[in-house]
Amino acid sequence: MVNYSWVSVIALFGYLFLFLAFASARKSRVINAFMLLLLSLILYTGGSFMMRIRFWPSVIFWHHVSVAGILLLPCSFYRFFLDFLEVHRKKETVFWFLFFAVSFIVNVFTGVFVPEPQVVEEAGGAVRFLYHYSWPVYILFAVCLIMLVQVIRLFLKFCRGDALILRQLRPIVIGIAAVTVGTVISTLSIFAGLPMDVLSVLVFAYLLFYALYRKRLFKLTLLASPANCYVVAVLVSMLFFYNLITPIRSWIERTLRLGETFAILIVAMMIVVMIYLLYIIMKKFLDNLFVKEEQIQAETIKEFSYAVSKTLDKNTILSDLIEVICSTLHVDHVYVCICDENGNYVMERTASPLENKSFVMKADHPLVIYLRDHDGCLLMEDYKRTSSYLSMWETEKKQLDDWKIECFAPMKDSSELVGIVMLAEKRKGYSFDDYSLLMSVNSVCSMAVKNSKMYELAYNEARKDELTGLFNRKRFYELINEQFERASDCSLALVMISVDDFKLYNQLYGASEGDIALQKIASIIRATTGDHGYAFRMTGKEFAILLPSYDIYSAKLLAESVAEQVRRMNVNNDLYSLKVLTLSCGVCASPYLASSAEELITNTDLAVYSAKRAGKNTVVMYSEDVGKEYDSQETAQGRVSYYDTYASTIYALTAAIDTKDHYTFNHSQNVAYYASELARAYGMNEECIDTIREAGLLHDIGKIGIREDILNKPGRLNFDEYEIMKAHVENSIGIIRHLPSLDYVIPAVLSHHERYDGNGYPRGIAGEDIPIMGRILCIVDSFDAMISRRSYKSPMPVDRALNVLYEERGRQFDPKLAELFIQLVKEQNIELRKSKTDQGEQA
Amino acid sequence: MRFQEKLRRYSKAELWKEYCGFLDMTMDEYMMMQKRLVMEEIEIWSNCELGRRILNGKKPRTLEEFRAMVPLTTYDDYADILLKKQTDCLPAEAVLWIQTTWEGGMHPTKVAPYTKSMLDTYKRNMLACFMLATGKGRNDFDISVTDHMLYALAPLPYATGLMPLLVQDEIDIEYLPSAKEAATMTFRERNAKGFKLGLKEGIEYFFGLGSVTYFVSKSVAVLQEKSSQGSLKEKLGKISPKILLRYMTAKQKCKKENRDLLPKDLFQLKGFMCAGTDNWCYKDDLEEMWGIRPMEIFAGTEPTIIATETWSRDGMYFFPDACFYEFIPEDEMLRNMEDPSYTPRTLLMNEVTAGEKYEIVVTVLKGGAFVRYRVGDMYRCVGLSSREDQTSIPRFVNADRVPTVIDIAGFTRITENSINHAIELSGLPPMEWFAVKEYTKENRPQLHMYVELGRQALLSAAVSKEVLKEHLSVYFKYMDQDYSDLKKILGVDPLNITIVKCGTFELYEKQYGKKIRRMNPTSRQVSDFLALQDTRNTLFYRGGDSNGQL
Repeated sequence: MVNYSWVSVIALFGYLFLFLAFASARKSRVINAFMLLLLSLILYTGGSFMMRIRFWPSVIFWHHVSVAGILLLPCSFYRFFLDFLEVHRKKETVFWFLFFAVSFIVNVFTGVFVPEPQVVEEAGGAVRFLYHYSWPVYILFAVCLIMLVQVIRLFLKFCRGDALILRQLRPIVIGIAAVTVGTVISTLSIFAGLPMDVLSVLVFAYLLFYALYRKRLFKLTLLASPANCYVVAVLVSMLFFYNLITPIRSWIERTLRLGETFAILIVAMMIVVMIYLLYIIMKKFLDNLFVKEEQIQAETIKEFSYAVSKTLDKNTILSDLIEVICSTLHVDHVYVCICDENGNYVMERTASPLENKSFVMKADHPLVIYLRDHDGCLLMEDYKRTSSYLSMWETEKKQLDDWKIECFAPMKDSSELVGIVMLAEKRKGYSFDDYSLLMSVNSVCSMAVKNSKMYELAYNEARKDELTGLFNRKRFYELINEQFERASDCSLALVMISVDDFKLYNQLYGASEGDIALQKIASIIRATTGDHGYAFRMTGKEFAILLPSYDIYSAKLLAESVAEQVRRMNVNNDLYSLKVLTLSCGVCASPYLASSAEELITNTDLAVYSAKRAGKNTVVMYSEDVGKEYDSQETAQGRVSYYDTYASTIYALTAAIDTKDHYTFNHSQNVAYYASELARAYGMNEECIDTIREAGLLHDIGKIGIREDILNKPGRLNFDEYEIMKAHVENSIGIIRHLPSLDYVIPAVLSHHERYDGNGYPRGIAGEDIPIMGRILCIVDSFDAMISRRSYKSPMPVDRALNVLYEERGRQFDPKLAELFIQLVKEQNIELRKSKTDQGEQA
Repeated sequence: MRFQEKLRRYSKAELWKEYCGFLDMTMDEYMMMQKRLVMEEIEIWSNCELGRRILNGKKPRTLEEFRAMVPLTTYDDYADILLKKQTDCLPAEAVLWIQTTWEGGMHPTKVAPYTKSMLDTYKRNMLACFMLATGKGRNDFDISVTDHMLYALAPLPYATGLMPLLVQDEIDIEYLPSAKEAATMTFRERNAKGFKLGLKEGIEYFFGLGSVTYFVSKSVAVLQEKSSQGSLKEKLGKISPKILLRYMTAKQKCKKENRDLLPKDLFQLKGFMCAGTDNWCYKDDLEEMWGIRPMEIFAGTEPTIIATETWSRDGMYFFPDACFYEFIPEDEMLRNMEDPSYTPRTLLMNEVTAGEKYEIVVTVLKGGAFVRYRVGDMYRCVGLSSREDQTSIPRFVNADRVPTVIDIAGFTRITENSINHAIELSGLPPMEWFAVKEYTKENRPQLHMYVELGRQALLSAAVSKEVLKEHLSVYFKYMDQDYSDLKKILGVDPLNITIVKCGTFELYEKQYGKKIRRMNPTSRQVSDFLALQDTRNTLFYRGGDSNGQL
């Protein structure tokens, strides 16, 4: 190696290093263009160097390689420049590549542009290469000049008023200037022998590299791969031994007196060891320079992932997240908002426990929408420059400013925005590495939070009553034991609530109205209990409230407050004049009146029973007397029939209608008979049979209020008359309502004109929503009306009446009950009754 | 970070997106921003004394409730609180009060409070206007800290005086002359100084009321005349070599083409903006004079800066964060004019129709005092989207003031009250009249009054057209400083009088069942009226013939 050949070698290695480094980096258009540029430089410098050392295979071969590099250089730089400015001119670049490719081929065969050099061996073994250029080389110069003008034009166009692009292009401009200066000064005698042009091109390549780095088009750490270390180690070793192999071998042979074979072996061993050592040193160096920080971060993320994978508790996950962010990024204030069930982002956790956590961003908050639509972290500084920021309220902006928020990191699970991490200012500002760490931990955290939310949801669903949203019976037993354990040194009160006559309410207004009532009661209980205790729905109409630290008196006051609110609940509802609901409540508390959770439940239950016995609608505190009362009732024999008590009232009412409309009196008696028989056949108990009988007697009692001319009108009723007639149902209820002891028949009476298909009156309810007694009355009422003689019609034959029942089953009548009734009549299990008018006429 | 630092730090595309990004919005995104910001305004406005008083105990919770509960307002609804500057009654702290004339001399001034947020929004939108005025398309603008601006706008406390202050907050461009210096100068002095400085340092931007920029531009030709007398030559030493060279070349060119020196011969503007009404009258001439078409913006004392054109100069877009906009369709507005008890229906930005004319109603956002405020301007929607601008939000052109106001060149606002008052003060005999805003052959706005004098007055007083014009002009100027400025600043006397024959007003009422509208009757009504005058002549003579009186 002679003179300054090492400059070319250094330049060549420099290009190779960059080329290999980028070979392992993530590619983009501009990176590819840069690699092409490096390739042209490698060909040019490498070819030139190999030619000068007259390396195998020939000088001419390396000459052409070097010319290929020279010709590739202008178009690869032009492409790089276009890609750097993000200008796409595919046709133009292809044209220039083709032009230079053709020029190269022509040159290979003719040497018209760059002729093959004449090798002149000088005294002392030095070699000179003489080129004899002719005019066609100026064509290439002219083309290069055109391309340079184009580059300058683009430069001026893009830099006009754009300081940022000017700054980005500055290294490239300096590089071009360096090449120009290098080429010029290499012609000066003072630099004779020193290849300043080669050096300046090397500087140019590294300035382009810097320009790419400044534009953040690659990550420096990605360039430090083990492969690069190997290549550099091999190249350095080769260079080293290329120069020293002969002296070392001679030295070994001379000093150790070993044969040539052993000397070569030792040198080979030395090469291997040196490559290995160089690799180790370079790897360590690069790791410390680039990768150490990344390794620490990777370790942190790994530990965090492991920690959050062990828990399903959201608070633990979030506190781990905050801890990892604070410790790794050295941020003092971190705020985490998590999406709740309504889609709003509620602040769940902050780095400092003293922070105000009442911050909520609604689902349509501009920041939420922005983060949902964009990936990656968002700097406040950048966000302030978006249209989305303009939609923020001034108070919201002020809040974020007060917290000194500088960065938002979305917590995303695929496209779903699970939460938002807001980070306050960081001394050195946020870097790309910080973003990458945040996105990694957030990604882990988002999955963990989502899992914990799903678990929470499943947990709650398993422990909550679907209808009312209160805790269910299962949760009651879990919590009462848990709370009893905790309340070892303080009191624990239990209130049990039973809704009075809820079955009647259901029958009166249907199951859906009953459900609404239960939901309202639950909401009253929940609102009254608040954070002081736990509310449960135990069974259909029974609720419980568990009140830690409540004494029995406070619990009683709370129960009375609930009962009072429930009493007022339906007062303002004028749709159907809904029945007022009342509660029977029992109250007990430990340690005063119970020494175990089981005893507490039993005693409270007894208090509820006592409230029921005491006439309902009351709150009873458990006492020993309550227990005794229950015991005595348990031993009492037999069941008192309430209906016997009311029989006289019923007959008084039916007698009243008899005086006005004799048909209705007879009809009512018939209906009572048929209905009780059908109920019995359907399998209803005696109590129900009694009820339906009474309902049958009273079902048309409202006709007392209908004018006689309408009741006994021959022929069809007109629309208005029919409307008046229809009102008899409401009239009946109006009469019966004044007899609280008879209100159990209201559901049946109210619904005996409802149709199974929902087209009946007065409420238009359908199917199973119609109380069963109403459905029974509907069938038997219609049947008796059909087979009776009226002023406006003759009696219908029984078979035809039964046919009508059969045809209308599923429409007007309950199909099962209708078929059962038809069967009962056909099998003569029901005795057919004629009205007295019919009997009179027949007589 | 100031705008000029951003110029160094961010690319053009990034900055364009930041300031002009609203042009990229879809209609839904635009409305979402409007609705969100108006909810903020509802929240703070309905909790202040001013809001409580207008709401009369009601409290809107939604936009629909707001539009139903809050009546359409005029300045009268705010006058007692705002004129006394009762800051404790306002929705947010006012950091500045801006002033303007209320009603052609009838009410001296009206004032509007500006909050910090409003000023920030004003500033940001002002910069967007600058960018759009200097750009040739999307992502393009040409602003540099070394630029100079000539401006023909009134100083503070008028709204126009805000512009240099706010822009200077963001970028150190030089005003010709500086805002501080300009505040103490007369209009003429400002122009002279502005051009003098412009000759020395160059002018890159020009901004002013359309009419005023036209007048100022015309005055450049005077430079040539003066130069021939040696005044400019004396100052040659103070002119920049670049402009001197241009001047010499232009002078030769003008001589060859036998025309006056035009501003474009001396200056190469990057951006040219104009505001006010009647801009369309001047735009072509201004383009001819400066070689660049002015970009129109809309700003007012109460609504702040609310709309701008773009590089295409084809209609203005409303900034979504300055005000919440409602539009009264023209027929609804006319119905309301005839029957003030009728509440006109309003449309939102996403409900307007291309080609229709609307009266604009604004709710000033960011703590502004005015809600559902009738600014008194009419806009015509020229399109719901633009292929050229690549926008999908409506754009509008200013279609003048509402008919009850006659605005001449953005200077004065003449109402029925102010005309009555001028007639009363002038001591002229009682007369019937109606006034129309018309445009002369040269396309300049004028106030055209059609006057009918009583028969008695014709016999007892000298009331020729000239006398009437003289009298009324004197009293308009006496009452209304802005009217006076029209003559003083622009050298324009906008009043034109036509005397109609006695009895025409009465005949019109008989013929059409109602009196002709006094302010800006429609062109159809005017032509009917004038036709009636001819008919009446015929009838009169026929009548004379038949009675044998002639």
